[in-house]
Amino acid sequence: MNRRTLLKRGLLGGAVLLLGGGGTLALLPSKSNGAPTEPLLALNASAFNVLVAVAARVVTAKGADPIAIAQGVDKVLSTAVVETRADINNLLGLFENALPAFLFDARVTPFTRLDPDAQDRVLEAWRNSRLIVRRTGYHALRKLCLATWYGSEASWAPIGYAPPSGLNVMAYPDSKMGTPEWVAEQKPSPG
Amino acid sequence: MTTLALIRSSPNVTDGSAQAADLELKVDVCIIGSGAGGAVTAAKLAAAGVEVLILEEGGYYTSQDFTMRERDVVAKLYQEGMTRATADAGITILQGRAVGGTTVVNWTTSFRTPEDVVAHWKEKHHVGGFAYADLTPHYDAIERRLAIAKVEYASLNQNNKTLYDGCKKLNWDVDTLKRNVFACMQTGMCGLGCPVNAKRSMLVTLIPDAIDAGAKLLFRARADRFEVEAGEIKRLKGTLLDAEGKKPTGKSVTVTAKRFIVSGGALNSPALLLRSDLNDNGRVGLRTFLHPVVGSAGVYDFAIDPFRGAPQSAASHHFAHRKDDVGFFLEAAPWYPSVAAGAVPGFGKSHEDVMNGAAKQALHIAITIDGFHDDVPGGRVTLRPSGAPLLDYPITPKLWDTFRFAQKRLAEVQFASGAKSVSTLHDPPVVMATLQEAAIDAARWEIGSVPVFTAHQMGGCAMGDDPKSSVVRSEDLRHHTIKNLWVMDGSVFPTSLGVNPQESIYGLVGLMSSRFLAQK
Repeated sequence: MNRRTLLKRGLLGGAVLLLGGGGTLALLPSKSNGAPTEPLLALNASAFNVLVAVAARVVTAKGADPIAIAQGVDKVLSTAVVETRADINNLLGLFENALPAFLFDARVTPFTRLDPDAQDRVLEAWRNSRLIVRRTGYHALRKLCLATWYGSEASWAPIGYAPPSGLNVMAYPDSKMGTPEWVAEQKPSPG
Repeated sequence: MTTLALIRSSPNVTDGSAQAADLELKVDVCIIGSGAGGAVTAAKLAAAGVEVLILEEGGYYTSQDFTMRERDVVAKLYQEGMTRATADAGITILQGRAVGGTTVVNWTTSFRTPEDVVAHWKEKHHVGGFAYADLTPHYDAIERRLAIAKVEYASLNQNNKTLYDGCKKLNWDVDTLKRNVFACMQTGMCGLGCPVNAKRSMLVTLIPDAIDAGAKLLFRARADRFEVEAGEIKRLKGTLLDAEGKKPTGKSVTVTAKRFIVSGGALNSPALLLRSDLNDNGRVGLRTFLHPVVGSAGVYDFAIDPFRGAPQSAASHHFAHRKDDVGFFLEAAPWYPSVAAGAVPGFGKSHEDVMNGAAKQALHIAITIDGFHDDVPGGRVTLRPSGAPLLDYPITPKLWDTFRFAQKRLAEVQFASGAKSVSTLHDPPVVMATLQEAAIDAARWEIGSVPVFTAHQMGGCAMGDDPKSSVVRSEDLRHHTIKNLWVMDGSVFPTSLGVNPQESIYGLVGLMSSRFLAQK
């Protein structure tokens, strides 16, 4: 994260985010939530592991697979700029890291080792935080997980969504539309 | 009939990702960007016989690629895969990235620039290079080319009808919109690329016009920086990207041209100038405007099906002019599952419950008109370490006040049109069975507590007659000091517009590309 971004988040907020990639309070190791099924494009392995745990709490719909969601988020992030990718990796480190958790929530257990209700309380604490970086961080992870799940057709039936089907695309060929006479039309049209 | 696939494979079109060697190109005019500004310029110059090369960072996708699935198309058609945001992450930025630019994914709403906005530019921002009447024939021409026409009330989907009906009941100004479509099949997919080519975006109109007239197009080519010697740009250095546009291929492109026209749009155009150290007066990137948007979800006891039909076809400008207060206008927003899921508050079961009720929800938005008040000065584009643009856009107290007021009006119009409950998009939301202005006031109006987004990016390379306060001249959009550099896109607007911007870009660039030709 560059200095300007850090300042925009407020000095404390930026420093907090950097903690996600830095000093740890190594009381307990992370709990493994399953390995990626494809090579990771944007996330590091430990960030992916935390994201699987976050996805499991954010998307509780029937049929949702947190590993598949985390894999989908990784693909989305592969189109983001390098600074955004680094921020998300740090953010996930911050979710897990016991040092900032201890400082802000008096919690010494990594996020991945908490029971589901306690994980929900962590998410709520981030949502309601006074720090911009925690609120925006909560929303970044929440939105990435939800957008990935609801981008899959498996999520659509309960919401009643379906793209149009049976379009007669032959009636609308993949071709140039209209003609370019407009280039010569530089006078106001009559009437 | 010339299909887009044939155009894409024509000798005039080059895929930067497929090049095995560095490219060295020499042309008369190099246009950077193929969206609303670049396409109009390219089509007009090529039709006049000018040798034109268009550089585009995005991919060349056509309706064959528009699968109506966000998972397939968002990464292809949006900047940074829709992860672009302001520096403090307070505003999500929806901006296109493809041959055809944002016109491929916009919602087709077409307005001419309001006359009072052009008058304001003249009075406050030293924009004396043209009169409103100069723009009129260019609006006329583009409206014919793009089949821009006003839609009938009967064609509105329920999402738009509830907005229209609510405004009517409140005696607020409201109207149906003009759209750039022909024989629209009402798929609702405007934001994901029109699958049936009913939308007359630049992709299916002026880019093919330009190529048919002899323009060359190089896509998957990122413009990195200009090399300037003796007050003139000598060449443009760029990077060729892989087929998905994610990584450099290791090959470069160098373009030598007599004249360069920057049409990368807001954020990208100022970023190119900043990377090129072309910022002597410190104005590049300043006064970038977003029309920041807040939304409201109304729940009805009848079907809304916000995902069906033309997504945006009614608007109210009743609150556009509020004197010392910031104005805004009301429109309906499309409802796509991924994007909507991000806007719906919460997580887990509570989020799922709201999503499962989507078929009876209307999503209406208030679009704030930034740039007309001293305490809503817009944002500033700077560069990230990687060279990508970074927009620092502070949401000022006056803008927060506007959001509050607009949120109340959104709730008012939704109740007036029969909503049984209305929710803000705060997390957690304010849920109302009747209008509760105090509850809206009491909500957390701060970054990260309520989603704000933008689909309209403007400014950053402002036009004007004073070289100290602007970047390009208003008479022709030429750079004040670099004699062979023009900027022709939405980045030249000195304020936001108060209307959806695509037709304003077409009209202004249509006029200025005519003047460019006259200077030949």
